[in-house]
Parts: sequence; C-alpha cells; structure tokens
Amino acid sequence: MDRPIAYDKLAREDRFIRMRARDIAALKVEQGLPPFPDLADRDAIRDRVHGILVGELQAMEGAGRTVYDFPDAPWEFTLDMARQVWDESRHVETYLGLLEHLGGYVGEFPESTILWRCACAEDAAARVAGVNRGLEGLACDVFNQLVHIARKIGDPIIERSVDYVLADEITHVRMGSRWLNELTRGDPERRRRAIEFQETIDERFNLNGTRLDGAHEAVPISIAHEARKLAGFTDEEIARLVKSTQRSQVY
Amino acid sequence: MRILGGWIALTPELDVKLLLGRHVWDCAQHADLWGRRLPELRAPAQESEPASDRVVRVLDVLERFEGRDQSVERVTAVYRVLKPHLATVYRRHLAVANPVYEPPTRRILERCIEEEWRHASAGAAVLARHLAGAGMAERAEACERRVLAALAEARGVTGDVEEPLVDATASAPDPAAVAQDLVEVPPPFDPGVAPADLGERLRAHVAALARGDLEAAERHVLPEARTAVRQEYARLQGPWTQAAVAGVARIGRYRVTRLRLDGAGQAVVQERWVPGDDGWMIAAAEVARLQPGG
Repeated sequence: MDRPIAYDKLAREDRFIRMRARDIAALKVEQGLPPFPDLADRDAIRDRVHGILVGELQAMEGAGRTVYDFPDAPWEFTLDMARQVWDESRHVETYLGLLEHLGGYVGEFPESTILWRCACAEDAAARVAGVNRGLEGLACDVFNQLVHIARKIGDPIIERSVDYVLADEITHVRMGSRWLNELTRGDPERRRRAIEFQETIDERFNLNGTRLDGAHEAVPISIAHEARKLAGFTDEEIARLVKSTQRSQVY
Repeated sequence: MRILGGWIALTPELDVKLLLGRHVWDCAQHADLWGRRLPELRAPAQESEPASDRVVRVLDVLERFEGRDQSVERVTAVYRVLKPHLATVYRRHLAVANPVYEPPTRRILERCIEEEWRHASAGAAVLARHLAGAGMAERAEACERRVLAALAEARGVTGDVEEPLVDATASAPDPAAVAQDLVEVPPPFDPGVAPADLGERLRAHVAALARGDLEAAERHVLPEARTAVRQEYARLQGPWTQAAVAGVARIGRYRVTRLRLDGAGQAVVQERWVPGDDGWMIAAAEVARLQPGG
C-alpha cells in the first residue's frame, strides 16, 4: 500500500454521489439557495446531517490512514489515532441513525471530498493540525450549533446524540493540540508549516462567509467559543479565527 | 492494526469499512498491552520485531489486497485466517503460562483471545453478506488457502507454531458481544427515491445506454450540453449485460444520478438532471469510473 494514497483512491459504494464542493455550491446558488445548508427547516437539517455523516466517514478514513502512514511516529500518537478511528466509526453509526430519524437516505445529497483531501497531508504534524485542530474545531462549531437548534425545535434525539459526538470532537482537538506540540518540539519550521496548514483549512472552511461569529439562529455556522475553549483553543486563537471569517474566500 | 487502518479508505462497502473501523482501536490496545508487558519481562517497551522474514512476507501478502474490488479478500485474510490464528497462538500460550507467576501475561492473553474470536465472528457475519455474488465464495477460499500457505511457510506469526495454525475447535462467542462490532447499515439503494417522472425517464435512458443506443440516450440531453456529453459517452466501451441506477442525490430541484453498466468491464456514469418544459433533461454527464473487461 502506498503511503499516503492518492486522493482519488477514496472508495465509496455507488450510492454516494461525489462532486466538487464548489460545483455543489454553484448549483445551489444558481437556484437561489444558500451555498451551504442552513438550519432553517427539517429538510435543511437533513442536508446538514448528511454532510456531517460523510464528514465522519472521511474522518474515520483519514484517521485510519494516519495509523498506517506514519509507522515511525511515537507509539502513543498511533494509539490516539487508533482511538479516533473507533470514535469516528461510532459517529458514523450515530449519523446513520439521525439520517433515518430525519427521513433521509444515504446518498441523498452529494459528497465532496474536501475534508478527505485535508486528511492527506504528508506530514503527521500538519495532518493533526489540519484535521484535529482545523476540521475537528469546525465540527465543534457545527455540532454545538446543531445541539442548540435541536433543543430549540424540541428534538431531543438530535440534541442528545450530537452532544455525545461533540464531547468526542473536543477530545480529538485536544489530541491534535498535544501532538502538534510534541511532533514539532525542537523544529520550529515544521511547527510553522503545520500551523500554516491549519490556518489554510480554517480559512477554507469559513466557507465564503458561512462560518461567522454570531448567534446560532442568526448565522449559518456559529463559532463555538465555549466548546473551543474546552478543547484547548486559546482566546487568541479564537480571536484569530473570528478575524479570518471576516475575509472572503471562494473555493 | 496498521493494515486495517490503511484499508478503511480503500474499501467501498459501508459494512466492511465500519467493521475495520470498529477493530483498529481494539487491535491497538492489544499491541499496547503487549508493548507495556515487555519491560516487565526485561525487554524494551513498545518495540516489536517480526519473528522472521517469512512473517514479514505474510503481511506483505495481506497488504496486496488493496484493490477497490478486493474487500472479500481483505475480510477473509484478516477475519478467517489471521485473527483465528492469533487466537490459536494465544490459547496455546495460555495453556502453558504459569498461573502463579504469569498472571499479568495470562490476563492479556485472556482478553486478546476473547476479542480476537469476537472480531472473527463479526468478520464472518459481514463476509457472509458478500459471498452471494458469482465466484465470491471461491475467491474467499482461494485467499484463505494463499494466506494460510504463507503462514505455514513462516510457521505462524511467532515462527514456531505447530499445525494446525488455526484451531477450529474454539467455542463461538456470545452473539450479544459480537453485535457491538456490527453496525446496522442501511438497505441497498432504492431507485424509487427518484421523482416518479424522472424515474420513468431514467429507465428509458439506462436501457438506451445499456444497449449502446447513444442516439436514443442523447435525446435525454439538453441541446447545449450534447457535444460535451457525447464525448463522455464515447468513452463507454460496451457491450453491457446489466445496467442499473445506483444512486440519486438532490441539489435543490436538480438531481444527480449514478448509473452502473456491467459487462466484461464496468462503467459508472454520473449525470445531472434538471426539470423543464420537456420533462427531466441531462445538463451534464461524466464517466466517473471505467474498468476495462478482462
């Protein structure tokens, strides 16, 4: 097996429709829809939940690759990544159940592989910075907001399930922070590159103004200050993220 | 553990993917328990080395089952051979491990035996779902023989295992325990999820592609998209014996379909349909996968 594998080796059943994220967004805008599903109604929540489901699948696949791709990394790093594989497999199970709860089906919305591509960084430090801090940080934002909306619309199944998953994501961010520090100890250049990679991902996943600092009901994706603090992000890092959302990026 | 982790992304079937995902952490914990035990036995912690080059070759054989269409081989190699073999080796070790001064080792062995058999049972349940296709059972048997032969040449994972390498007399694990490893996956795709009028057009379109009647297939394409779509269709090398709608996704009012054509080879065509005055029409198409025939 190659280390790492090419992006396009990611295997799916044919019921999954794979498309570029920018093409999906453009086709939505063409129809007068928001480029990223908001949480305005049950249909939009289903679209969001489907997006999270495929994100969890890609997170499981990415963590699995990290277990395989870095045989010379510290053993405890591998152990953490193996734990993450198991967590993500349980998250997939959770979101399969939530999709069914919402009356959806697997493959109902297209899948983009933008998360998976981020999980293919060649350096282990960049991978944990990008995936565990960048993407799992995004997951903290998305899940925290979903818990809030579910509570508001009176759906305890979504509220409780997603809250459990959020707890795991906070743990994964902590793992990322730990390994970013340990893998780059004594190598400031490697650390700089890894953090730069994470910031690129943060910017990309601001989703052209979709992630913003604001109330859960007022913005498409709200930044989860408290969850991020629990996960170990500093006030300065959160402030930097908020600032980055004010810049526009189209992808 | 590493091979299972690496395979997850390369495996298309959801149930197999999740089976591997479930077990990577258990395998990591087993390795960790052994790695921590080593210094207690006056060896360096968390350092492992293969018993011989032949043991390395066994794992090389496994790693080669990385093709998209080799999930049957992946599951067979690990769950029908390697894990039962590990459980066999552990059980023999447990039988001779002194209960007075080796309880730390015995506890690890007991846990690993129980979990390896549980994994093997879960693997057998998942494998059974994938053996119904033509030639699948034979492929699994051939794979089993190949991996067992490599293991025999290495004399097992420790280089000194007596035959039989897999002890088939082990008792079956509790089904309730096995259930924790099996994720209930959704039923196969139902083309009925497409809107009724699209479904009708899709059936005609798939049939036209299957019989190679590209002129008829192109009648479902918007005029402005015909040149580009024709170029994609030109890549389809039939003849096809089977054709099916494999997926339907929605983007607002649009639908994106995935059509699978099987013959000597296989092709998957992804098409975007838009509703209009002439009913559903194709606005874009691409050949998403092309697998030449043998």
